[in-house]
Amino acid sequence: MGLFKKSGGAKVVVSPTNVTPRQTVTATVTTDKPIDKVRSARLDWGYTNFYQYHWAGRVDSVAAQGNDTIWTMDQVGTNYGGDRDTDDWVSVIAEDVPIAASEFTGTTSTFRIPSWAPASSEAIARWGCRLTIDRDGRDVDTTGEFTVAIGTADVEAYVEPLEVVSGAAETVIDIALSSPVYRAGENITGQVTLTPTMDLPDGDLAVSFQRERESHPLARAPGPGTQFDGRIVTLGKRIPLRAGYPVVLPFEIPLPADVPPTAAAVHSSINWFVQARMMYAGFTGHMLERVRRPIVVVNAP
Amino acid sequence: MTAVQPPHPGEPPPPERGLTRDERGRDVSEAQAEAEAETSKFQKFQKFLHMMSPRLVWSMAEGYPVVIKQFLQFCLIIIYPAWVFAVLVGGLCQLLFYVTVYPLLWLLFWPVRAYQKKHHPEEYAATKEKFKKK
Repeated sequence: MGLFKKSGGAKVVVSPTNVTPRQTVTATVTTDKPIDKVRSARLDWGYTNFYQYHWAGRVDSVAAQGNDTIWTMDQVGTNYGGDRDTDDWVSVIAEDVPIAASEFTGTTSTFRIPSWAPASSEAIARWGCRLTIDRDGRDVDTTGEFTVAIGTADVEAYVEPLEVVSGAAETVIDIALSSPVYRAGENITGQVTLTPTMDLPDGDLAVSFQRERESHPLARAPGPGTQFDGRIVTLGKRIPLRAGYPVVLPFEIPLPADVPPTAAAVHSSINWFVQARMMYAGFTGHMLERVRRPIVVVNAP
Repeated sequence: MTAVQPPHPGEPPPPERGLTRDERGRDVSEAQAEAEAETSKFQKFQKFLHMMSPRLVWSMAEGYPVVIKQFLQFCLIIIYPAWVFAVLVGGLCQLLFYVTVYPLLWLLFWPVRAYQKKHHPEEYAATKEKFKKK
């Protein structure tokens, strides 16, 4: 009568808990008492990947378009809640634990964090060593967690081309940065150069950082992705824009210390940008200009 | 540029990533893709007919889990007459607009167009070219 007999629980402890890529971590699996009736046991190094997916139906169907119209009329449509947050386990290395006499008593394993490892953050990934035991009774599934931080030496960063997001480029806006890589908690410094192509009304210029989370699941239909704009730093309210007179304005954007760093995982990724937007004074028909330059954000020295 | 340490020879390759919504392209059913593919003038009328096809309406239940899909198909069958009515009324409104309001606006903005044609001929031609394609 083993029906009500409780088997021992397993605990996975990973040390050290805060690591950077190319470092080695060790997982120690202990049990308070031996786990019996074991068929197989597996240790899985990897991460839980957080992303957004479209739960069902076609994203661009006629009904969805009609639904968007209802949305804009401030009525909740049939597609409400169609994009959902979820997570999936991404296995990097899995190893079978040898079992003797159908009993599991504990094991250890080491893992070298790969150079391409996405940084741990609530928006992307939670790293861990996962133990799964397949047995005749209740299975065991437990995870020991650790945090991966990304440092300046772990990323390949170069000055990426400027992206024109909107506007007619009547004023050519260029963002020059002091470095392509910034650490969370630092200030992003640089300068904006405005080169008017003709005489234009006075400009109102502001800069901010922008964080973008993209969802690109392997199997499910992807969600739309989200953008987050940081605090807006105003550089000038009435900047004179005359043809042939470029204006240079230095800026400093504070980057909070607890932001999720740039990361690329299987099902989602985080991209960072510095963006500048300029509006022209008055109702003169000049469009809002918006440009952005990709940057890399890290969270370790 | 920062110096990157080379990857360790023994490390596993990075797993393949999926595609974002933009990278995948428009997510529509076969029937809808057929209806949208028609562009020429005669085909515009066909597109209108396509919008009323029961196959297109039926296809809107595609991709939903079992039971919900059958329920949606049931609902779509029930609302099909209303759908046909809505498409017809929509088409009629568009027709009515082009017969009544459009000529009025065309007449009203005649001086503006004439001014643009005379003073900004290149811009006028560019705008005309832009709307010709549609």
